Amino acid sequence: MVSGKSLSKNGSKVYLNGRYIGTVADGKAFSNEVRQNRRKGLISGEVNVAYVEKIGEVHINTDRGRVRKPYIIIENGASKFTEELREKLDRKEIDINYLLRRGVVEYLDAEEEEDIVAASNEENVTKETTHIDVDSASVLGLTMNSSVFPEHNSIGRHPISANFMKQGQGLYATNFNNRYDARAFVMYYPQNPIVNSASYRTLNLKKHPAGQNFVVALTTYYGYNMQDAIILNRGAVDRGLARSAFFRTYSDEENRYPGGQQDHFKVPQPTTEGYLGEHAYAKLGDDGIIEADMEVKEGDVLVGKLSPPRFLEEQTAFGIGEEKSRDNSVTLRYGEEGTIDNVMLSETKEATKIVKVRIRSVKIPEVGDKFASRHGQKGVVSLIVPPEDMPFTKDGIVPDLLLNPHSLPSRMTFGHMLETLGAKAAALEGRTYDGTPFSKEGSERVEQYGNVLKRYGFDSFGDEELYDGRTGKRFGAKIFNGIVYYNRLMHMVSLKLQVRSRGPVQILTHQPTEGKNRRGGIRFGEMERDALVGHGASLLIKDRLLDQSDKVDIWICKTCGDIGYYDYIKNAAMCSLCEGHNLEKVEISYAFKLLLFEIKSLHILGKVKLKNG
Amino acid sequence: MEKKLDLQSKNVNISPGEAVGVLAAESLGEPSTQMVLRAFHSAGIASAVVVTGLPRIEEIIDAKKKPKSPSMHIKLEKGVAGDYEKVREIRRKIEEVRVGSLLKGFSEDLKGGVMLLYLDKEKMAAYEVTQRSVVSRISKMERIEVSTEGDNTLKIKAIGAGKKRADMKEARTAFVNVRTAVVFGIKGIKKAIVQQTPDKKGYYIETSGSELEEVIKIEGVDKRHVYTNNIFEMLHVYGIEAARNLIANELNMTMANEGAGVSFRHISLVADAMTHKGIIMGVGRHGIAGSKESVLARAAFEETVKHFINASVFGERDMLKGVAENILIGKQVSVGTGTVRLSVRKEDLKKIKKA
Repeated sequence: MVSGKSLSKNGSKVYLNGRYIGTVADGKAFSNEVRQNRRKGLISGEVNVAYVEKIGEVHINTDRGRVRKPYIIIENGASKFTEELREKLDRKEIDINYLLRRGVVEYLDAEEEEDIVAASNEENVTKETTHIDVDSASVLGLTMNSSVFPEHNSIGRHPISANFMKQGQGLYATNFNNRYDARAFVMYYPQNPIVNSASYRTLNLKKHPAGQNFVVALTTYYGYNMQDAIILNRGAVDRGLARSAFFRTYSDEENRYPGGQQDHFKVPQPTTEGYLGEHAYAKLGDDGIIEADMEVKEGDVLVGKLSPPRFLEEQTAFGIGEEKSRDNSVTLRYGEEGTIDNVMLSETKEATKIVKVRIRSVKIPEVGDKFASRHGQKGVVSLIVPPEDMPFTKDGIVPDLLLNPHSLPSRMTFGHMLETLGAKAAALEGRTYDGTPFSKEGSERVEQYGNVLKRYGFDSFGDEELYDGRTGKRFGAKIFNGIVYYNRLMHMVSLKLQVRSRGPVQILTHQPTEGKNRRGGIRFGEMERDALVGHGASLLIKDRLLDQSDKVDIWICKTCGDIGYYDYIKNAAMCSLCEGHNLEKVEISYAFKLLLFEIKSLHILGKVKLKNG
Repeated sequence: MEKKLDLQSKNVNISPGEAVGVLAAESLGEPSTQMVLRAFHSAGIASAVVVTGLPRIEEIIDAKKKPKSPSMHIKLEKGVAGDYEKVREIRRKIEEVRVGSLLKGFSEDLKGGVMLLYLDKEKMAAYEVTQRSVVSRISKMERIEVSTEGDNTLKIKAIGAGKKRADMKEARTAFVNVRTAVVFGIKGIKKAIVQQTPDKKGYYIETSGSELEEVIKIEGVDKRHVYTNNIFEMLHVYGIEAARNLIANELNMTMANEGAGVSFRHISLVADAMTHKGIIMGVGRHGIAGSKESVLARAAFEETVKHFINASVFGERDMLKGVAENILIGKQVSVGTGTVRLSVRKEDLKKIKKA
């Protein structure tokens, strides 16, 4: 091992964009010089330099694709972003480019960041500090910055919450009517959060809200919201709470094949191979494409398409016969239904016809749908309660959502509670509050919100007496309630529900298919099998793995042990190996038959000897 | 009382057809998966290099010939165990001392075939080794001549040294052999520590490195209470029964140390399965699973084609007795409820038909 020090004796290697370009005597001084020149504007502000002390190398990066972050520079213990500049900036006399040119602010990449000592704000500046964050909240990314009070949540909740916020349904694009996204969710009445942040406003997320402000009470309800289950108010749901539209686009193309053959969009004739039956094509127009505003359900054909047969036809005595065709229509997916929203016809680059059919369906919140707040608190609807049975306050406020109080302490999402309190106060005042990360002390906020609540005649900590809607009796404890901005996430049962009793099987193994779109079953795997073996439930194993799977009757030759077949013309079982008729019908798994055939391909003949033969 | 005991023992009996192997596998496998998850948390503590947890279980189950951290726990005979000086003396006989660890330094001249060893007095005192014993040890070695060159310096000459490449190479290996030669103690035991017994009445010895065969030869060692964690040494010295007990014990201890209490019946079943043929077989392709009778069961596990080809060469026959085979072909498995079969004599059947 060569230590950094001995290397720096011989100077430091300099790498430009990862390529070695030369050596300098003092790497540290050199990198400082580059930095100073950048601040003076002698070299581009996009150049980043880092002196890696451990290996005594200077890394200069000017290439694209580096993520960079702005910092305020400190010189001689004082921030270069002075009060004067701040005032000018507030008056909009100057902008960020001015500060960049003057060397007040600079962008650092990940490697150069390793060289600096950054403070989160001016109060934390010490002797060693070289930079200050432009804002304390700039340690967080875009998604977290558009959230509120993340500084009050456990660090482990941030990535979770960021993930959920990206999955929320809302108004993802204002031109969704003209778009043909493969899958899209649009919320009926999206709202802006009552408590939002500076980034939320500057990112213009106001135009793309993805959730609604729910009245939330922290209470249980007859055991229906155990763990992460949540309870919704049916009254609210009926009035459009979290209602959304689901769009799915099906597209199809008239492909061309070698030999001048081509697909055709048209209503297939009953003589076509793979004809799905008259009723399946009933909603198609004359052009073979479904009409807009049609109600469709599972199995309906959206685009009738005829494709040339898979294999070339043999020549008959009359020359090539009438060209046969194969039905290759697009049908609606398993378990889905809706209305045809729009149909688009166009042409591809290869001048083939292309059609896109967009289906719309209304998704009303139901048991099994997933919701989450902006604090990584997700939940699945377990019950939708009639409004008259919901708990209510003395003012007649009925919560939209009941959240189990146990979700909070172990996850340490204090931001969730702060939002509940803040949004409640803001709603009473009829305005929005700011919850920008690190902008205020938590205690200060609790006090402020408490005062507002008190002014409007509420408990300053947000607790209220609630009455059970079923019995009319008051609950024994005061219940914390308020308003929380909830996202309806894109995971909904109606798109996932799957059921199979009988259904299609795979061609190769005769075993049931896999996956929702193939009407598949849920795999009964090796470990599940072991569990049954452990219980000694031998007939149940046979049921799962044979009777409900790939059972097949085969003929086994008692003379030679090979697999035979039943000749329906001669009305007798035949053995093709010894040409005898001494066969027995045996119930066996198709997988084993397949195995015997496969080892035959290895030139190994597996013989089956029967007990009674 | 006897009746009660009888009843008790009948209650404990396993019912016929109980899938004990699967139960044992599941009972051991479930806590093991959790140990994998937990192992990362204690990764930072590097003080003890003893292999525990899942890696150790893997070692035992796979019947690894060389355990990563062999160790011994040596109890001493009654007269000796209480006497600290005597115990230290035994410890000295056990712990290996190599020439290299007694040196201040050395210099070698490969062309001349001469090496000078500078002995370190303090180190020698610490190991309680004299210069004479070192000389006598080295002088036993072949192709080497030793001579004393003043105090604390030994001159070693390689016989037949020359300037040829091959000669120099030979001299070098000879010198290395000298430096790694064991002066004292048992080769392979890197460290031996005297420890006090919990009741503070006596002492025992803990070692890192294991050499059961040599240790029990030492006088004062209680041959009945020498413990090693090397299963193959135990097999070699005390036989298969002892090895079986050791496997069971080691498995039990490692599982218990990880906080996963597995019933001993499962562990002893694994130990039995590994040793019932008189040799130690690992659980896996080369051990138990590879020695299954059924071709189909072996082929279903690993190396499918190899097993089928071999079976066809030798004309093997599968009697379809096991679990895996029967699931494959779709027959009722002879486990649990499947073990029972209705048997009616033909004559009786005729009677029933007549009636």
